[in-house]
Amino acid sequence: MSTAPVAAPAPERPLPVPTRESQPFWDGMREGRFLLQHCSACGKVRHYPRPVCPHCFSLESDFREAPTGGAIHAWTVCHHPFNFFFKAAAPYIVALVDMDAGVRVNAPLRGIAEADLRIGKRVRLGFEPVNKEVTLPFFVGD
Amino acid sequence: MAHPLREAAAISGVGETAYTRGTTKSALALQLEASLAAIADAGLSPRDIDGVVPYFPGGGIAEDFIANLGLPDLRLSLFVPMGGATCVAAIQSAAMAVASGVCNHVLISVGRTGYSGARVSTRLQQFPQFALAAEFEAPIGMFAPAQLYAQGARRHMELYGTTARHFAEIAVVTRRHAILNGNVVMNKPLTVEEHHASRMIADPFRLFDCSLESDGGAAIIVSRADRARDLKKPLVTIMGVAEGHPESPASIAQRPDLLEFGLVKSAPRAYAMAGVGPKDIDVAEIYDCFTFTVIRQLEILGFCKTGEGGPFIMDGRIGLGGDLPINTHGGLLSQGHVVGLNHAIELTRQLRGEAGRAQVKDAEVGLVTGYGDMGDGSIAILRRAA
Repeated sequence: MSTAPVAAPAPERPLPVPTRESQPFWDGMREGRFLLQHCSACGKVRHYPRPVCPHCFSLESDFREAPTGGAIHAWTVCHHPFNFFFKAAAPYIVALVDMDAGVRVNAPLRGIAEADLRIGKRVRLGFEPVNKEVTLPFFVGD
Repeated sequence: MAHPLREAAAISGVGETAYTRGTTKSALALQLEASLAAIADAGLSPRDIDGVVPYFPGGGIAEDFIANLGLPDLRLSLFVPMGGATCVAAIQSAAMAVASGVCNHVLISVGRTGYSGARVSTRLQQFPQFALAAEFEAPIGMFAPAQLYAQGARRHMELYGTTARHFAEIAVVTRRHAILNGNVVMNKPLTVEEHHASRMIADPFRLFDCSLESDGGAAIIVSRADRARDLKKPLVTIMGVAEGHPESPASIAQRPDLLEFGLVKSAPRAYAMAGVGPKDIDVAEIYDCFTFTVIRQLEILGFCKTGEGGPFIMDGRIGLGGDLPINTHGGLLSQGHVVGLNHAIELTRQLRGEAGRAQVKDAEVGLVTGYGDMGDGSIAILRRAA
């Protein structure tokens, strides 16, 4: 039996596990397209994906490509890495953005200094592949 | 006509373990130790308990209570899965159970090894309510409550000018109260400067804006009011109680207004049931997972207007001797984190006149809130019955 110290395994990145409802959203992300779920009956957009339209209760929906622009609604700057995967990245800004498409997206914001953050500041969503299956969103200044 | 639940039930017993950082006991053992203390406080036998609402997930389930306490005829077993709003919401469920005649004495209990066992990010993986956060937010580096709630706090600061100085006031006053209690994790004074110097966790939350990870157990007994009257301790009745769920309950990000918690819905119902308003409240135990959360709840509760919570809490108002003493036991910020059941225990003791050095003089009516699970909000208004 070896007594040599064993290096701790690198922390794993938490990744989305798509559901039957959300799979088209993540498929879109992988293709670099911001696809959002719309009710096939009343046309209203909803996010995160779910089986029933809360406005008209239709079970039918389709995913349509949506604009990637938006305005900052709120933000936080994450200093403490609750998941050790993010330790190297900390501190990092996570912006909550009112998308022009009518939903919100939470994603890391790059290229804007903390001191320059304002409610209403324009940003644009980008696509960052993290492996063959998963692409995650991020924001940059518009 | 008075609401059928108004004063139909009472909190007849309260109990807790020592609050510590480090224990060799299991969460179940802590929960049962606190439960036995609450049963003894009420002057009941464990055999009298015929309903249980254990905190879930984590700790014991009904089967554990039957096996350990020898319950001869358990008639009701409930979970109230509302995160930090669970314990006070469970008071509503328990009051319904005793008022309807299904039960006589319902045990609400928590056992937690938040320091020596699994920490918050790990615990939340067990919550089905956090599935959306796990899918959409954990991958981009947001999952812990400190991170998820930080954005709402930041928005309040940007819109209304709330500051870190206001947050510090909550932390400092709560610590001052904790020191009077004795059974607390944090027993050294805290200054505004020390608060400001503490490390940033998730801006705008610093370390001393965040509640503790601690080990401990807590329990209360909800009894039918007429039965509680004959028990050992002064009668403390439940005047009003309610739970509320916000829009977009499993995703703060998608909530139209980040600052509209479930308490927006539950507080008016509880006040109406109780027949009292904010001006009638002598003492308030406010769920304090974060300092800001207290400020915003005080606004929602009608003690001040939206946006005025920061200035409202300054100048001694929320300390002992002030207009509205809050968290007189030290709360989750300084006493210990047993999901706010310690807040209900403290309010009961205040109304009995058992709060020791932190006693609010002539406290007759008080309220306690729960907040959690992305913004669920519960409230109970209690009264010392003559």
